[in-house]
Amino acid sequence: MRKNWLWVGLIALVLCLSVAFLTGCAKKAALKDGALVTTQEQKAAASGTSVTAAQARAQDDAAARERALREQALREKAAREAAEKAAREAADKAKQEAKAKAAAILKELQIADIYFDFDKYNLRPDAQEILKKGAPAYLKYRDYKLVVEGHCDERGTAEYNLALGEKRATEAAKYLANLGIEKERIKTISYGKEMPRDKGHDEAAWAKNRRAHFVIFPPVK
Amino acid sequence: MHDLRRPLILTLFLFLLLSAGQVYGKVYIDIGSPSFQKFPIAIADFKPFRPVADKGDLPVWFSDTLSRNLTITGYFNVLDRRAFLEDPQAGITAEGIRFEDWTVIGAEYLVKGGFHTDGRELVTEFRLFDVVRGELLVGKRYTGRPEDRNRMVMQFVNEILLSLTGEAGLFDTQVAFVRKGDAPADIYAINFDGSDLRRITNYNALTLAPRWSPDGRFLAFTSYRDGNPDIYLLDLRNNSTRKIAFYPGLNLPGSWSQDSARLLVTLSRDGNQEIYDMNVGSLLLQRLTRDFSIDVSPVRSSDEKRIAFVSNRNGSPQIYIMDADGGSVRRLTDQGNYNTSPAWSPKGNRIAYEGSVNGRFQIFTIDAEGGDPQQLTFEGGDHESPSWSPDGRYLVYSVRVGGRSRIEIMNAGGQNVRVLYQGNDVSQSPVWSPRLR
Repeated sequence: MRKNWLWVGLIALVLCLSVAFLTGCAKKAALKDGALVTTQEQKAAASGTSVTAAQARAQDDAAARERALREQALREKAAREAAEKAAREAADKAKQEAKAKAAAILKELQIADIYFDFDKYNLRPDAQEILKKGAPAYLKYRDYKLVVEGHCDERGTAEYNLALGEKRATEAAKYLANLGIEKERIKTISYGKEMPRDKGHDEAAWAKNRRAHFVIFPPVK
Repeated sequence: MHDLRRPLILTLFLFLLLSAGQVYGKVYIDIGSPSFQKFPIAIADFKPFRPVADKGDLPVWFSDTLSRNLTITGYFNVLDRRAFLEDPQAGITAEGIRFEDWTVIGAEYLVKGGFHTDGRELVTEFRLFDVVRGELLVGKRYTGRPEDRNRMVMQFVNEILLSLTGEAGLFDTQVAFVRKGDAPADIYAINFDGSDLRRITNYNALTLAPRWSPDGRFLAFTSYRDGNPDIYLLDLRNNSTRKIAFYPGLNLPGSWSQDSARLLVTLSRDGNQEIYDMNVGSLLLQRLTRDFSIDVSPVRSSDEKRIAFVSNRNGSPQIYIMDADGGSVRRLTDQGNYNTSPAWSPKGNRIAYEGSVNGRFQIFTIDAEGGDPQQLTFEGGDHESPSWSPDGRYLVYSVRVGGRSRIEIMNAGGQNVRVLYQGNDVSQSPVWSPRLR
């Protein structure tokens, strides 16, 4: 919008200037960006026999120039816009592709939560299966790290559960390390029973809360 | 927190030496014994000594405030004043009291008192009588501003407790606990009488496991404010906080040493949860446990020669005892498959803990040698995290039913349960402060 106004303003300015110069018999009315107007033509106009005829001709020329200028401006504007649009689309496409690629990598790296029995931190067979499926992505994308969170259900002491949650996280981390992920890339943290995923107070809720959760850390750019 | 530390500006003196002579060498009733009967006590309305222009509600205010605070202790059965037979005009000295008027309604003790104003000061007198023997036990006079009258009452309640039980009251103590409201979890504190609930920490991060230092100056706790569960020390004198343990993994505070110089801690910096003794000044550590299982929640015995802690080295969490240097580890609890949260009595040799009974947690106590286990709570809900009062006569603990919990106090025998705090949220891990003067 602002660009359009700029162009209209510019054209109006050029017009005024050219009319002013020509009617005042300016000898060297050169338009700075009016590429169509040549000094030759101006000279010819200026050396015309009749002043009025020269003036009329000058007015016609001015109108023609004005038209030509406007058309030129419009053409340039359209070309510029097309170029900009193409560039923008290309950038958007690249961005989206990168995003999709990153999302695909994250999806590939995301290990599902694994669950534990009450007051236990040994990895059940179902948990081991999940870790075995999850580990290869980390061998493929070596600049990604992960944090293993250990959680417990609401039963029992806060402190003992913090220790138990840490044991769960550590067991999962060790298993992943044995599958080839460098130890340095795996961090553990325990939240004990303080951050239940299911706020319920029955075995169904407890079973969901006795878990290890995996958080991916992409490389810092 | 600061109110109780302000020096009590009351002038007081013993105006009868008789009482001092009687307190000396007295044999107290064992208030911890299961056969203990509450002291039946009558509290007469106070008398204006001189015609006071605007005595207002003061006569009744004194007797009501005394009644309420004596009831809170759990040791008194305060008699209904409607049963009183005595002529309200009777005096407040032994000579002016017809003791049979009190014994006949079942009282064994009687509190009488009076007051007058002297310029801008309020002068009060409190007297405790043994009506069975017909004699004065304690008499006190306090002078202070009228706004100090609540503290005058507290002071005399302490005198009554000292006289009858040999130990002052707990009105200068508080309970800190973890409350999970809108914020992830913060530490709060509340007075012994349930007044003045206030927030101690506000980090917008999980903040857990408060531990008072015995000198009342510090509160140690664990907070995730920097992401990892690290141990912080809050200096209650100037409200400054210092991070004292921030090793990779868990950093959890346990109990302090009596001189407030060392803190038992649980750290997993060596790859597994182990117990260490930390010098709070130098932050140097002495490792006490070496085991591949969980070792957590260390507490010192009152003589500091032993440490009780929780370990699952034999499969399930149980309470173990070791020497202060980590030697001679032996298992203490052998019933049930989940016994945690040991708390060593500051007076005597008993350890309180929580144990699982039919899937519910209840409070127990047991001798430090493993004998005489006693279950103290029996109701529904989970009773957890017992902590002793500094006189060893009460336990504070949390009770959770579903997503709601409350903080309760009971005496060491499991009687006289009183709700200290109840909210719509989860409150856990209460810890009793030392006396904060």
